[in-house]
Amino acid sequence: MLDLIDALQSVADGVLFGATYALLGIGFTLIFGVMHKINLSYAAASIGAAYASLLLLAGVKAPPVLVFLMAAACGGVIGALVYFVAFRFIPLANPLATLMSTVGLLLLIDEIVVHATAGVPLNYPALFSDVVIRAGAFNLRGDLMFVFALGCVAMVLLWALLYRTRLGIATRAVSQQPVAAQLCGISIDGVNILTFVITGVLGGLAGAMTGAAIGVLSPLLSLPLTVKGLIVTVIGGLGSIPGAIVAGLLVGGIENVVQFFRGVSERDLYVMMLLFAFLVFRPGGLFAPAAGRD
Amino acid sequence: MYGKVAVIAASLGVIGALGAAPAFAQERTVKITGFGAKSGVVRVFGINSEAALKAAAEEINKAGGVTLGDGTKGRFAIEFLDDRCNAEEGISVVRRIASSDAFVAVGPTCSNVAESLFGILQKKVGDASDTGLQFPIIADVAAKGGLAKISEWAFRNVPSEFEMYKSLFAWLKTQHPDLKTIWGGVEKDFAHSNATFGVMKSQAETNGLKVLGQSEWLLADTTFSTQVREMRRANPDIVAISAHPFTTCGVLKEMDRQGVKPKLLIGLTSSSSIETLQGCAKQAEGIIIPTSFAPVTPEAKKAAEQVAKLGGSADLHSAAAYEIMFILKDVIEKQKIMAKADTVQADRVKMREGLAALKETNGLLGKVGRTPDREAIKPFLFVHAKDGSWQVLYKPAS
Repeated sequence: MLDLIDALQSVADGVLFGATYALLGIGFTLIFGVMHKINLSYAAASIGAAYASLLLLAGVKAPPVLVFLMAAACGGVIGALVYFVAFRFIPLANPLATLMSTVGLLLLIDEIVVHATAGVPLNYPALFSDVVIRAGAFNLRGDLMFVFALGCVAMVLLWALLYRTRLGIATRAVSQQPVAAQLCGISIDGVNILTFVITGVLGGLAGAMTGAAIGVLSPLLSLPLTVKGLIVTVIGGLGSIPGAIVAGLLVGGIENVVQFFRGVSERDLYVMMLLFAFLVFRPGGLFAPAAGRD
Repeated sequence: MYGKVAVIAASLGVIGALGAAPAFAQERTVKITGFGAKSGVVRVFGINSEAALKAAAEEINKAGGVTLGDGTKGRFAIEFLDDRCNAEEGISVVRRIASSDAFVAVGPTCSNVAESLFGILQKKVGDASDTGLQFPIIADVAAKGGLAKISEWAFRNVPSEFEMYKSLFAWLKTQHPDLKTIWGGVEKDFAHSNATFGVMKSQAETNGLKVLGQSEWLLADTTFSTQVREMRRANPDIVAISAHPFTTCGVLKEMDRQGVKPKLLIGLTSSSSIETLQGCAKQAEGIIIPTSFAPVTPEAKKAAEQVAKLGGSADLHSAAAYEIMFILKDVIEKQKIMAKADTVQADRVKMREGLAALKETNGLLGKVGRTPDREAIKPFLFVHAKDGSWQVLYKPAS
């Protein structure tokens, strides 16, 4: 009986923590949806933004909300910088060129963080960290439920942005028919920059939420989160925002269940097998959008 | 008027310089090269080691420097190279150092680097069939037990974790006889954590504690709820965590969330650092860790201040680097090392012989013994996290 409760608890914990993967997955997928490019520096930039929020507010006893907002703002700035460094002046026709430039940027951002902090883990504030909803032996962490709710809000806001605003129409137009969009007077550069800023803001929040969920920030996080973000993007379907959310929660849950039953040394093995299974049997992911770019 | 004053001042300057010239001519620069991680997530270890080497060199230079084989005074100059905690880069860095006039190197940070690096050194001195590098290296940080055995050119000034935890568990048995059970937590993919966990476990059993089980996680893990629930279910008296600050803090925070409050917490030597307190001072309150450094003697206090002035932090690892500079000074003087370009090979041999002959050295906490397999037996004490700082809990008799 206790084993069953523990297994359920593991699923619940994993699914809730998966909300941080979902937030990252949304950023990966949005950039892919608009530019059809993978930005491998996204998770590193997200963690970088969370670090920047701590460093900029060092010495000020800022409330967690302010730290999170600062992380989002820093994420936006870093997002724009990423666009200019790794995309704007790189030939977009060559998919390998931008892939490699973002790998370079991943390492660069990581190293900047390491040099700014000497690689020392830093305490990160959390909201609702002392809230635990208990039902007998079963409990749910308040801070992770907040992250989960934030992921849902982000999805709704992004949906509204994409489907209810002129900016969204322009973004979808660039995503689907870039040449036609340009002929209609839409600035492709402008849309791309805005996409990076918006995903950067989201990434900053994702970095902050990850820091808050763990309670500590470390440069060690960049690489595993990059891998998780990519897995979530592939499983959810490249370009699908609801897919990223569902896949984030799914990956988080599966990770914890495997860890519960098989131990930490086999955990990543099963997650990778899940990725390969999707690549082989459902390459479009859970919610692959209809193709439409020329 | 001003013109005359300027001429007189200039003349005095020239005379002064000429007078001082012979003194400068009697001095030689003795370059000591340190190496370790100065990038990547363990960068802080390199920063601390470099600061400690420089602080000790400054101290020695201020006191008159080192007397070289021909009677000349030598002044230490420190250079520190980055190996990124990567074995291949560590080997490449040492080959570069060995191709210069250097007669010894200090490092590395990581055990995986030391293990590979010591493997390229000549195993047995005088073995003509072994073409390995004949270059003495003395390690300050790499903590995995028994590494110096790999080559007779390898030395370490690293505390013995076996002795530390043996003493800690024996002390716990006398101080807390009511504690009967222990649960372990280990960072499974890190050599040092894994090896030390083995020591903790065996010493716990030797001292009559029942090991109820262990939780495992990886160095870059982000969630510890499953592992901590195992702990909670076992309800042990003691939790021993063999992990570095990032995951130690992650686990301690999760324990706090799940209300896991063991009667006693034990940590890994490397976690008795400022990083743990920066990451989770509140949750780490009370954790007991054995360490070979704390600013408890006048020498240790002074060293800690000097290292801090140079942008580092004195801990059990960087304190070892600080001590190494004084060991090198003694060996240079005793072995009459020349530190000249044309005596490099002879100086290397003399340095190796000098280091190998050491039976005892001066450490910041007291005398440090040397073993025949080129390891150190360092004095240590137990510290615990209290009110956001590390405070001495007990100093075992050495």
